[in-house]
Amino acid sequence: MVMNIFKHIYMPVLAVALFCASNLSAQNEPKESDYYRITTVAVPEGVLLEAGGVQVLQDGSVAIATRRGDVWFIENPTMEGGTQPSFKKFASGLHEPLGLAFKEGSLYTVQRGELTKLTDLDGDRVADSYETIYAWPISTNYHEYSYGPVIAPDNSFFVSTNVGFEGQEWWRGQSLVPWRGWMFNITEDGKMTPWATGMRSPAGYGLIDDELFYTENQGDWVGSGGLWHLPKGAFTSNPAGLKWAGHPDSPVKISEEEFYANIDKRQVILNGRYVKPANIENEEDPDFVYEMKEKFPQIQLPSVILPHGILGISNSQLIVDKSMGKFGPFEGQVFIGDQGQSKIMRVVLEKVKGEYQGVAFDFRQGFQSGVMRMDYDQNGNLFVGETNRGWGSAGPKNSGLEYLTWTGKMPFEMKSVKSKADGFEVEFTKPVDRESAEDLDSYLGKSYIYKYHAVYGSPQTNLEEAKVKGVKVSDDGLKVRIVMDNMRQFYVHEFNLEGVKDAEGTGILHPSFYYTLNNIPEGTKLPVSELSTKRSSAQAKPKKIVKKQISKAVVKKEEVLSDAEIGRLLTRNTCNACHQKDKRVVGPSFQAVAKRNYSNEKIVELIYNPQPKNWPEYATPMAPMPQVPRDQALKIAAWINSLK
Amino acid sequence: MRILLCAVVIAFANSVMAQTQLSLENLDDFKPQAGNWQIVGDVVMNRQVDVHYKPEPTADSKKKKKKKDVVEELQAVTFTAGTGILLNINNKEKKDKLITDWEHGDIELELEVMMPKGSNSGIYLQGRYEIQLLDSWGVKSPKFTDIGGIYQSHGNDYSKKMIGIPPTTNAAKAPGLWQKMKIHFQAPRFDAAGNKIKNAKFVSVDLNGVRIHTNADVTLPTGGPISGEEVAMGPLVIQGDHGPVAIKNIKYKLLADSKVEMNGLTFKSYHGEFKGIEEFENEKPVKEGSTSLIDVSLAGDEDNYALIFSGSLVIPETDEYTFSVGYTGGVKFVLNNETIVENLSSSAQGNSSETLKLNSGTYPFTIYNYKSAEWRASRLGLSIKGNNSNKKSFHQYDSYPEKPSSVSPIFVNAEQKPRLLRAFVSFEGSKKLSHTIGVGTPDGLNYVYDLNSANLIGVWRGDFVDATPMWHNRGNATFEPRGAVQWTFLNQPLAELSSEESPFPDKADFADFKPKGYVLDKASGLPVFKHIYKGVEIENKVVADASETYLIHEVAFSQSNLSNWYYKVADGNIRKMPDGSYAINDQQYYVNVLSGQVPKIRTIDNVQELVLPVDGSKIKYEIIW
Repeated sequence: MVMNIFKHIYMPVLAVALFCASNLSAQNEPKESDYYRITTVAVPEGVLLEAGGVQVLQDGSVAIATRRGDVWFIENPTMEGGTQPSFKKFASGLHEPLGLAFKEGSLYTVQRGELTKLTDLDGDRVADSYETIYAWPISTNYHEYSYGPVIAPDNSFFVSTNVGFEGQEWWRGQSLVPWRGWMFNITEDGKMTPWATGMRSPAGYGLIDDELFYTENQGDWVGSGGLWHLPKGAFTSNPAGLKWAGHPDSPVKISEEEFYANIDKRQVILNGRYVKPANIENEEDPDFVYEMKEKFPQIQLPSVILPHGILGISNSQLIVDKSMGKFGPFEGQVFIGDQGQSKIMRVVLEKVKGEYQGVAFDFRQGFQSGVMRMDYDQNGNLFVGETNRGWGSAGPKNSGLEYLTWTGKMPFEMKSVKSKADGFEVEFTKPVDRESAEDLDSYLGKSYIYKYHAVYGSPQTNLEEAKVKGVKVSDDGLKVRIVMDNMRQFYVHEFNLEGVKDAEGTGILHPSFYYTLNNIPEGTKLPVSELSTKRSSAQAKPKKIVKKQISKAVVKKEEVLSDAEIGRLLTRNTCNACHQKDKRVVGPSFQAVAKRNYSNEKIVELIYNPQPKNWPEYATPMAPMPQVPRDQALKIAAWINSLK
Repeated sequence: MRILLCAVVIAFANSVMAQTQLSLENLDDFKPQAGNWQIVGDVVMNRQVDVHYKPEPTADSKKKKKKKDVVEELQAVTFTAGTGILLNINNKEKKDKLITDWEHGDIELELEVMMPKGSNSGIYLQGRYEIQLLDSWGVKSPKFTDIGGIYQSHGNDYSKKMIGIPPTTNAAKAPGLWQKMKIHFQAPRFDAAGNKIKNAKFVSVDLNGVRIHTNADVTLPTGGPISGEEVAMGPLVIQGDHGPVAIKNIKYKLLADSKVEMNGLTFKSYHGEFKGIEEFENEKPVKEGSTSLIDVSLAGDEDNYALIFSGSLVIPETDEYTFSVGYTGGVKFVLNNETIVENLSSSAQGNSSETLKLNSGTYPFTIYNYKSAEWRASRLGLSIKGNNSNKKSFHQYDSYPEKPSSVSPIFVNAEQKPRLLRAFVSFEGSKKLSHTIGVGTPDGLNYVYDLNSANLIGVWRGDFVDATPMWHNRGNATFEPRGAVQWTFLNQPLAELSSEESPFPDKADFADFKPKGYVLDKASGLPVFKHIYKGVEIENKVVADASETYLIHEVAFSQSNLSNWYYKVADGNIRKMPDGSYAINDQQYYVNVLSGQVPKIRTIDNVQELVLPVDGSKIKYEIIW
């Protein structure tokens, strides 16, 4: 959740709808809302639903735990037949609860310092008993959020805890008291067992196939947010929690000394003051987490990286679609919320060489506030509890409750992507148009990795274009094999399939996929003879060329692209998740940027090296965007300056 | 102009600014009076005895009532010979006000006051403007006639009447307890012809640590002044004819308008992105000249500028002076070649103060300021406050405007039912606790309970809490009680001890101690806290007394026949009172055991403790403040 977040960095997402101008050229293009409808639940005036927990109950009511310490029961939350929901305060006075779970007639919630069982003893839907199941130490640092619980397969509870930030090294996450930055397990009778560490801001976690997974936010020692598998004894990313690895109960056996003997802590004192570590540009031999894993096998690599700024900036809860088709074609897949970008992403996992890895897509944006917690009702509606908690969000509100419903229409999407020995196999929800799918120009790919260092976040590093050798479309048109030359283990492989159309000529609703390739599977490689290697750019196709000219033509400084033209650039470079033309979102509007009277070159420089201190009234600092090509950045800058 | 160069002249004052404290060894600071005022060594007031003062008794009962008063006063107040406490016991003959033999204009005054039940007095600033003293214990909606009220003026002509101002909240303590009062008063101002040009003003009044008045103008002398004529200087007066009152620790600072002057102020301005003073101080300024006040707009730009102001300060009298420099960007303030304030980051923002003892004389100074931080407005201000003078600013208003917070506070109140709220709570405003819960009741009786030690750690009356720190923006997970909190003590009050003389463990021992949360009582909505200690289930309950004025704490055990178990009711300085209750920490609050265990006062590490033996029968005691 938010909490990452603390100083999370904003960056853009694919967010066409946010950018009003892009609609001009896309009147008839399919929209997310054609397939997934967002309905806002009306909240009584004076009730602040800064959601920390969402739990659908058997009767269709939804329970919401809020930052204000209340638990609300909302009857008739779907407002079926145009009827009103009713709100009842089930509990109050809790210390910033950040989760809810229902078990055997009671609701369980995690407050800052304890796991609490809330029970209505007399049937009036008001909790009478606030029983402490287990209380843990907490240093009283503001960032020490505690999340959960999630109920384990054995009916015990998982609880996760944030690190704290304080003192001279305010940028370095610290585990100030035992088990901060940890996941632990608690039994109903109050027995606590530490489970895993490396957590920095583990707001979202849950079970996938009865295995524990969690999401992490970009931060110190976390290059990008993502999804991690958490078997017992795992160490993931931020080393603060290793402070307690020597404790007899610790299942993680990596000492801080060993850890920092193998990687630079970046703890420097100059003139008596600590120096905040910064990204080293053009670093010769940056560290990567997979290298550390060679020394410390307990390190768990991210199963799926959610590239920061593209697939969220502050990942929150994960949930598996078990609606048996009521929620659309993605049964069994994983949905992950994001607070800052107020949207939901979709993830498909597979196990390769015994480890989880997989693919992530954009799924649905446009929520009114940060997406924090989610739960399905029995009709396949996905309830979304929202808050931005002082960190700002793309959704303009500070809190609320919405639900997401499949409209019944089938979107044209990549249903899943699986890794192969020689590339990837993409499965679609509808058959593809063979001509467009056999055109290699429809597949723009690249791969990159994130550094593992004490710095807050990491740029995409070791960027390389994917060399697509050929593709093979299956006979039923539902699958495409992408065969490539330069697969790179441990790297994110990002592909844009904008050119692929369905039978009606419609493009993919979310045309990019992001596959984290922790292992390259064994298996047969397709012979070149079976592959299509056509490229439409090799022939003369006026339409396509026009498009290319937009992005590649040399534009003179004074020549400014139209809003519609620039929209594609803003989308491709993910600018418009955080910026709109004339409205403040996560970041300032482009018009507000224009008012600063920067030169075009200065704007380009600021895209590469943002100066968040120039915008102190924005809660979320912008991340450096070195991946934006300079010619495109210049065009964007010229357009911004035309808005004065 | 002679400039003092001796380094000794500038000495950083390392103590709080000196105040004058009345010795109270004798009555030499006061004018002679009938003898109702005396200096004593110790005072005990029996909180049960009402002095029954009635300001306007009916004619036929007058005589009888007064006689009764005298008798009961003797029971209400006892004292021993000695020094340090000023005590008034008035009767029909002796009922003079107490008037200082010195006079004051602007003043910061602090004192502690103790009153018996039903008594009444008042503190008159300049003998004219009264802050009321009254036994207002338990009053829910305080009036101007309650303690801390600014009394009204007499008469019914509203064109000339000063309407009384009640305290913003009733912070009063129970009779017989010491109550702290802090008053910052500004005298009226007059022009050369003697016409009043500015009203007298209570800049602030604090009672028991709670602000009860802020910037309250007093347009006329209030009821019962020594004179109806407003003047620049007048004595401090304490009312003596309305009932017994004891006062101690009278400390004050007399403040005059500052006579510090700034001479020969010149400026130089520079343009550029400077990161340090060395980058501009020897360069050619863009502009230079003289000016009467410090003004950041002389930089001629909003950002990427530097300024050097130089001049001299004329210090009229030897005193301690506090220099406050408010700034954005980097700043360095040099006085007499010594650096007083320094922050060299060109994007900084702050307000730094230093207190120095200065002899009278003329001191050269230089202020360097450079900003390269376009997101910060340009700001530079200098103000100087002497120990015995008011603050004086040496900048243009817009160069460093005073800015209030515009955040809407988030108050939490108990309405029809008790309101519970967990948060981190700072014990005595400093030690932050993690597992604490506040409970507010519709009666306005509030407390904080520490779930980590099963201890009642603080109690207050009035409004419940301010949760702005927890819920505004990202928040810091704490709330602040909105009243005068009487804190008790930290750590587990219940323990099995190896002997009666063993100390209590100094923090919760989690091997033996297991918090179990609480259950809400259906009828009252109040929590019953549960925990387990050494296998024994224990319940803690805190309820209002019948008069809804103070709290009763009950501790129940699931087992009997416990031995070597003890319960600490209080620690600090403990005194047994005539009514059988105990006054804690020099009469800050009382505890009174109702449940029959015989309390024992013991001393551990020079700290007294009031301890009850625990056998498993219920403990019930009152906490009265």
